[in-house]
Amino acid sequence: MTMHDADRPLDSLDRAILGLALEEPPLGLRSSILLATAYRPAPPFSFLELALLGALGAVAVWFAALLVLGGGSLFVHTVTTIAAVATAALSNGATLAWLAAGGATALWLSLFTVSQPVAHASHRSGPRNVP
Amino acid sequence: MKAAPEDGDLVAMTLQGNSEAFATLVERYDRAVYHLSYRMLHNVEDARDATQEAFFKAFRSLRTFRAGAKFSTWIFAISYHACCDRLARRKHDAGDELPDRADPARGPEQQAIALDEASRLRRAIDALPEKYRAVITLFHLQGRQYEEIASVLGLPLGTVKTHLFRAKEQLRRLLDGMEVTES
Repeated sequence: MTMHDADRPLDSLDRAILGLALEEPPLGLRSSILLATAYRPAPPFSFLELALLGALGAVAVWFAALLVLGGGSLFVHTVTTIAAVATAALSNGATLAWLAAGGATALWLSLFTVSQPVAHASHRSGPRNVP
Repeated sequence: MKAAPEDGDLVAMTLQGNSEAFATLVERYDRAVYHLSYRMLHNVEDARDATQEAFFKAFRSLRTFRAGAKFSTWIFAISYHACCDRLARRKHDAGDELPDRADPARGPEQQAIALDEASRLRRAIDALPEKYRAVITLFHLQGRQYEEIASVLGLPLGTVKTHLFRAKEQLRRLLDGMEVTES
């Protein structure tokens, strides 16, 4: 029998180790784990919703400042200019082609699953499956 | 009667958005993960934080869990590495190598007086060097699944068996020493 023999019968020390009770975790540990993971409350707004709200807020501030500083004529002039530029761009075949290409690329990229970031390396080597 | 779902099924259900499935995994393993953390760190607060960190990392990285792998081995590996990082930080903060004993002021021999057999064994395990303590604790949690233990520790199978053999030798010596002290 060698010291590497895994098939030898359990001795009294083995049985004592295997018979040890597990440490009692502190109260509330499970609930705090669950609150940080599975039962984590969903944020009130998603990233896209926040971005949209931010953009709307910025436009509102810009509009208010425009009215206070320059009056309505400047606003009308700005909106007219933006609309003219947008109409000119969207009536251009090359612009539309580039927009279509960009949209298709974005759609194609979205089909890939983004993998989780690899956790920082430990000071010792670990199995590859460890995050 | 419906059989309890396998860990792998629970992982798949969690990935499909079933929160209860991950809660079941937490219920199954939080105590064992805490036990491993506590045996490694010897501190309730640190063990609690390391356990939370392990489950948080596991939850975040659940997509990287290999189908067919054992969840217990995976979560123990995450927990073990979290503990190693904390121990390394402690050693760095202390500016020196920490002693292997949990409580250098009172040796395990003194602490063990009047304690029962299980308590003496726990004290003896705590007095082991870190690498032996880890392997004995995983043997306690996983039994003779040496390949799983090797996977958790990131060590070759032969090294794990050698560490286990030497850890038990040291444990026997420590336990003998405690008996002499008590008598």
